[in-house]
Parts: sequence; structure tokens; C-alpha cells
Amino acid sequence: MSALFIVRRIFGVMKENGPAHLVSIGTIAVAFFLFSSFLLLPLNFASVLEAWEKKVQIILYLKDGIGEKRIPQLTEALHKEEGIREVRYISQRAAKESFERDLAGYGGVLKGLEEGIFPASFEITLHERFRTPERIRALAERLGAIKEVEEVQYGGVWLERLSLFLYTLRWGVWILGGVLVVIIVSVTANTVRLTLYNKRGEIEILKLVGATDSFVKLPFYLEGGLQGLLGAGGSVLLLLVLFHAFSYKVAPYLSFYFGQLHLSFLPPHMIAWILGIGVVAGLLGGLFSLRKAAGI
Amino acid sequence: MIQFFRVYKTYPGNIRALANISFKIERGDFVFITGPSGAGKTTLLKLIIRAERPDQGEIVVNKRNVARLRNSQIPALRREIGFVFQDFKLLNHKTVYDNIALVLRALGHKKRDIPKRVRQVLRVVGLEEWALKQSPLKLSGGEQQRVAIARALLNTPAIILADEPTGNLDPDLTVEIIDLLEKVNTLGTTVVVATHDTSLVAQYNKRIIPLLRGQLAA
Repeated sequence: MSALFIVRRIFGVMKENGPAHLVSIGTIAVAFFLFSSFLLLPLNFASVLEAWEKKVQIILYLKDGIGEKRIPQLTEALHKEEGIREVRYISQRAAKESFERDLAGYGGVLKGLEEGIFPASFEITLHERFRTPERIRALAERLGAIKEVEEVQYGGVWLERLSLFLYTLRWGVWILGGVLVVIIVSVTANTVRLTLYNKRGEIEILKLVGATDSFVKLPFYLEGGLQGLLGAGGSVLLLLVLFHAFSYKVAPYLSFYFGQLHLSFLPPHMIAWILGIGVVAGLLGGLFSLRKAAGI
Repeated sequence: MIQFFRVYKTYPGNIRALANISFKIERGDFVFITGPSGAGKTTLLKLIIRAERPDQGEIVVNKRNVARLRNSQIPALRREIGFVFQDFKLLNHKTVYDNIALVLRALGHKKRDIPKRVRQVLRVVGLEEWALKQSPLKLSGGEQQRVAIARALLNTPAIILADEPTGNLDPDLTVEIIDLLEKVNTLGTTVVVATHDTSLVAQYNKRIIPLLRGQLAA
């Protein structure tokens, strides 16, 4: 039995039952598209998280009435804290000037505002390895305990939420993956079963003339595997097209909010895994349907 | 060539198909298995090709103990037997050529040998070249049964089993098909024809194995 003959038989089988196979491949592709998207999200959210972590800084708002002499002492004390790379003092005057610069177009509104309503603050930049949500939170708590500090602000809540979201997403991918395999096995098994039903005459003849089990069954196993492969391949292709469209059309706008985004597509080993899961799930579908088909 | 020794077969629901069947068919024989519908003719043929397994008894076909064959040994048994059905069992979406070529491929014949072999067997059953590209549905009943017999002859089997091969044919075509099977028999193939048509059997001076309600009739 030559490979070419087997391939012809598989495509012959699929052609005769064309619409059912198209629906089956389409369903598998949709299921895999969801799975691949869920793989792609954590991959790129990690880069968003990284971009945010780079931008993150801690702002210590100071209580009113702290003497000018105390500022250098506080600055020095902050520099001694582990993880702090840079400390910048913003006086009440500097804060007011900065506010006025930012709202230059609304000059009239700002008239009459006194310097005293803008608190003095320290803007603290962190070393790279300290820009994790846990370490930022710990540092912010320590700094908040300084008696001159009125309030501590940092993007930690968002970072922590994003980090938790990412963690959930990563686990979600595995759960979704499990559900997906069940869907693919079931869809493929049903399509192969339909093909078996349509080909029962041919199968009966082949068995009666003494065709071997492998000759009769192999095309149906492979048909399942091929469906899985085509479905998975189609989903990766669709995702690639949408990913590029997103990268060129949408990502530049998001950069305003998240900074420069470095979006990346699924790496080759992940694509190979997706195709592999497709083939194995399809083969399993073929196997189950052949086992259920009595007398074959 | 074929030997049944005290064979019993009952289907689920306690439906007795065959009971205490013993007979022997020698190499090169032409035998009619006769009996009304439900007599057990088809079951008997199914037992020979191991499409069914006997509940009791031994069946020897061409030196093989059919009842004890492993599943993996069944294809080898069936390659020694050609089977002809009442309803022809041709694939109507394929041409006559493809119907026969598919079986040759299944039996492991080389691709380059197939066209020659297809034409050879079609000549044996008296079909012309024009029939090759036709769908079986465009052929008459007699022609379709000839294609089915050609398919059964592909592997030069030692035995041909025919289950009511003339059941769907008019009297003239019936005689044609039995004559064709007789011709195959003269080439050395053992032929077993199951039929309920007693008038047909009466036209030929052949051995008869009569069945009645699953037992050998006296």
C-alpha cells in the first residue's frame, strides 16, 4: 500500500463527504483559535506588564510644614533603602508650576490657586529587579511608615491586578486546552463515524474480499488526524492574520497608554505543539469512532 | 475443500439458524444449497467466510479450521474465496473499472498490473471494454452480476460462494449467470450457490444440500 495511494484514499473519502468535513474542520479551527488566542494573551500581557513595570514609580506625598533642612536628610535616607535607584524631590512650588504647565490651556481656571494646596513629594524610581508587584508593595509599605509621609501612591494595584489576571489566564489556558481536546475528539469522532456510515458498503466489500484490517481502517484513522491538522493549521493561520492586523492598526494607539508595546506571535515550538495536539486529538477521534463502529 | 461437522449456530434472542449440520464438498464440486427463506442458507455461507462464528462444531475450509481462526487470519481465508451477492454489492458512485481496481489494490496488486487484470476478468465473464467506464447503475441486472462475479474471480479463488445470485434477475439472465458460474467451475473452482429457486436447481444436474428450518432436510 503506497503512501500516495493512502493519501488519495483519504482525500477521496473526505471529498465524498465534503460538507461534513468542512464543518468539522471549521469547528476544530474555531476551538483551536480560542485556545491559541488564550496562549497569545498571556504571552503579550507579560510584555505589557513588563512595560508598566518599567514605568512604575513610587510617589511619597509629604505632610505640610516640613522644614527645608529635613529634605536632604530624607533624600539620603531614601537612597539608603534597598531597591531605590533615583529620588527626586518636588517642592510645593515645583508641583504648582508643573500643574500649570500641564494645564496651560486652562490658565484662567488656575488663577488664584495657592501654592499651599500642592503637597511636596518625592518621586522614587526603582532598580529593575525591584519592579515586581510584590517588591513594590513591600517597599511602599515601608516608606509609608516614615512619619513625614502623608500618602504613598504607586501603580501597584493595577500591577497586582494585571499580574493576577495573567496568572489566572495561564491556568485558564490549560483548562481550556483540556476542554478543547474533548471537543476535537468528539467532533472528529462524529465526522469519521459519518464517513464510516457513508462508506459501509465499500468497507463491507473490502472486508469480504480479504483486505487487511490496516488497509480498511488506516484511511479513517488518518482522516481524523488530517482533520485535526487542518483545523489547527487553519486556526494558527487565522490568528496570524488577525495578529498582524492588530499589530499594524490597533497597537500604535494602545502604545499611548501602555508605552511601546513589543507584541509577539506564538513561537515556533508552540505552533508545533498546537498542530501536534490537533493531529493526536484527530487520531483519537478516528480511533474512538472505529471502535464504536460494530463489525469494523 | 469445505467440511461441516455437527455445526450449530443460534442468533441472539434464541433464534436457531443452523443445527447439527454436517456435510463435505470436494474440490471442484458445483453444489446448490437450497431451501426456503429463513432455512439458514445465508448463515451457512457466512460461516464459511467467518463472517459468523459457529456456537458448536468444526468447519474446515481449504485446510483451515475456520471456527478457530484468529481475527488476523481471516483476510487470508477470504482471499481464497470469492463471494457473489443477490444485490451485487457494487459501488454505484464508482465506475466498473474502479469497482474492480479497488479490490485489486486492497489485495496488494501492483498498480501497473491492475489495468491488465481488470480487462482479463471482465473478458472471462463476457463483458466488453465499453463497460469499464460505466457506472454499475447504467448496466442491466445481468451485466451488474457479471461485474460482481468478475470481482469475485479477481484473486483466482479456490471457492466461489454465491448467495441467491439470480434473485434479482429474470429467467433468461438467471440461466446466463448460472452458466457463467458453471464455466468458472470447469476451470477448477469449487462453486457453492445458495438459492430458494427449486425450478432453477432442477435445470442442472448438480449436487444439492437441502436445508429446512436450519437443519439438513432428509
